[in-house]
Amino acid sequence: MDKKTVRTIAHLSRLSFDEKNEEKITNDLNNIIKFVDQLNDAETSNIEPLTSPLEKTARTRPDKVTAENRKEAFIKNAPSSNEDYILVPRVVE
Amino acid sequence: MTWQTVIGLEIHVQLSTKSKLFSGASTGFGAEPNTHVDLVDMGLPGVLPVPNKDAFFKAIRFGLATNAEINQVSSFDRKNYFYPDLPKGYQITQMAMPIVGKGSIKIFANGQEKIVNITRAHLEEDAGKSVHDLFEGETGIDLNRAGTPLLEIVSEPEIANAKEAVAYFKAIRQIVTFLDICDGVMAEGSMRCDVNVSMKKVDDLELGTRAEIKNINSFKFIERAIAFEIDRQTKILESGGSVVQETRLYDSVKNETRSMRSKEEANDYRYFPDPDLLPVVISDKELEEIRSSLPELPEQKEKRYISEIKLEESEAKIIASSKTMANMFEEACLKTDDSSLVARWLVGEVSALLNKDNIEIDESKLTSNNFAVLIERISDKTISGKIAKSVLEEVWESGDGVDAIIEEKGLVQIQDESLLESIAKKIVEDNPGQVNAYKGGKDRLFGFFVGQVMKETQGKANPQSVNEILKQLLK
Repeated sequence: MDKKTVRTIAHLSRLSFDEKNEEKITNDLNNIIKFVDQLNDAETSNIEPLTSPLEKTARTRPDKVTAENRKEAFIKNAPSSNEDYILVPRVVE
Repeated sequence: MTWQTVIGLEIHVQLSTKSKLFSGASTGFGAEPNTHVDLVDMGLPGVLPVPNKDAFFKAIRFGLATNAEINQVSSFDRKNYFYPDLPKGYQITQMAMPIVGKGSIKIFANGQEKIVNITRAHLEEDAGKSVHDLFEGETGIDLNRAGTPLLEIVSEPEIANAKEAVAYFKAIRQIVTFLDICDGVMAEGSMRCDVNVSMKKVDDLELGTRAEIKNINSFKFIERAIAFEIDRQTKILESGGSVVQETRLYDSVKNETRSMRSKEEANDYRYFPDPDLLPVVISDKELEEIRSSLPELPEQKEKRYISEIKLEESEAKIIASSKTMANMFEEACLKTDDSSLVARWLVGEVSALLNKDNIEIDESKLTSNNFAVLIERISDKTISGKIAKSVLEEVWESGDGVDAIIEEKGLVQIQDESLLESIAKKIVEDNPGQVNAYKGGKDRLFGFFVGQVMKETQGKANPQSVNEILKQLLK
């Protein structure tokens, strides 16, 4: 992984860091990938991909409305809001 | 150079569950902002999604109706992207193991039938709504829609033109409304689609680079957006350029598509299995129950109407193609024997009124009871067809009972032959000039006499009787 890839991932994840840390972060990430890459040595060609390490299946719910209206609490906890909407900095030009 | 257009559609169908895909919040349309939101939809830490079984059942109904493979074990993945109306920072969707696999649907376009193959149909949650035009410098977020279950239906890239694309969209809408898994109301966003368009030389085996036009929600716009895109891409290719793979937006006001995202920011959704959700398993018993509860679909209805009820093919096709129309037909037929008259009035006068008001029959004031009474009164000759039309219009406006309107307005057809005869006689006597002209060979004047009798009886005379009486008198 090179610095350019690190910058792309940082952008996609909306993370920022000092340019002087770029070298260290790139090294760290490469070490992590090298560690995890050991898994590629395992022979898995005859094994079904696993979606979860728990050998269980999902609990589901019947189609019922159970939630109450918590609008006031949501609005109160939002950094910016008016009485109806949660407000964020404008996202379109 | 002849270019061949290749189109694929991704249709998002909002499933008509009461609660959301992973929370117990209501999916009801039109509520005050942020009132149908649960902790899960808000993406608060420490909460876990629990799948709504009914969304799976509805997806399976679609799969069975399109002869698709049903994956009894399906699982969820995260599609990661940042946008304020997606509080978690990822959309839960089915990437690796969708609930519905390969299927197909029959469409009718440009005068011929065609089978369009469906690649897959998977469950996913909808995002919230961003409101850009209400606040100065800020965007308002309403999360009522966040977490609403969607079935994304992905077609194979084998649709050849805009007409076929519209026919395919209509076929999907018809099937999901018949299956009762979606209300099909386009104006409320219950069905939206992304259209992938690419062009290739006729002999090329590989597909050309495609542009994806996002979020179109009307038949008309699908057709226009595709037409624009074909034109745009053809011009680029003809002048030796190459089409850029990108997402575009259709602007219905300017009737054009334009690029949504800048090129260097290629999408990278970094899909991975959602560790919060285990695979959902559908048992054989559940699958069989769904299979046996499937309703009769348009194609089967049409065949039955023709073979059992003896409707004309054209009438059967129109009635069977709309769920609300078919319901009205079948309910009215339970209450009156004259099925062919029911069909003729549905396809004729009732459809004309529906078109005029641009509504579905279940949004009108006409009930199947009232409609059946109207048909009975025509077939037992209480009222003439012409009067029946005005009664229908009255019912359409007021919703009042057919019999009440007939009585109140004194519209009962005059059957009394001697009364009709005396009226007819008087008219013949009063118009000697016309009588002579008629007898002299002006056959068309017969209509004049019928018209005069009708005028005299305010349209209440039984037209057959009038015809016979006049023929006798004018011999």
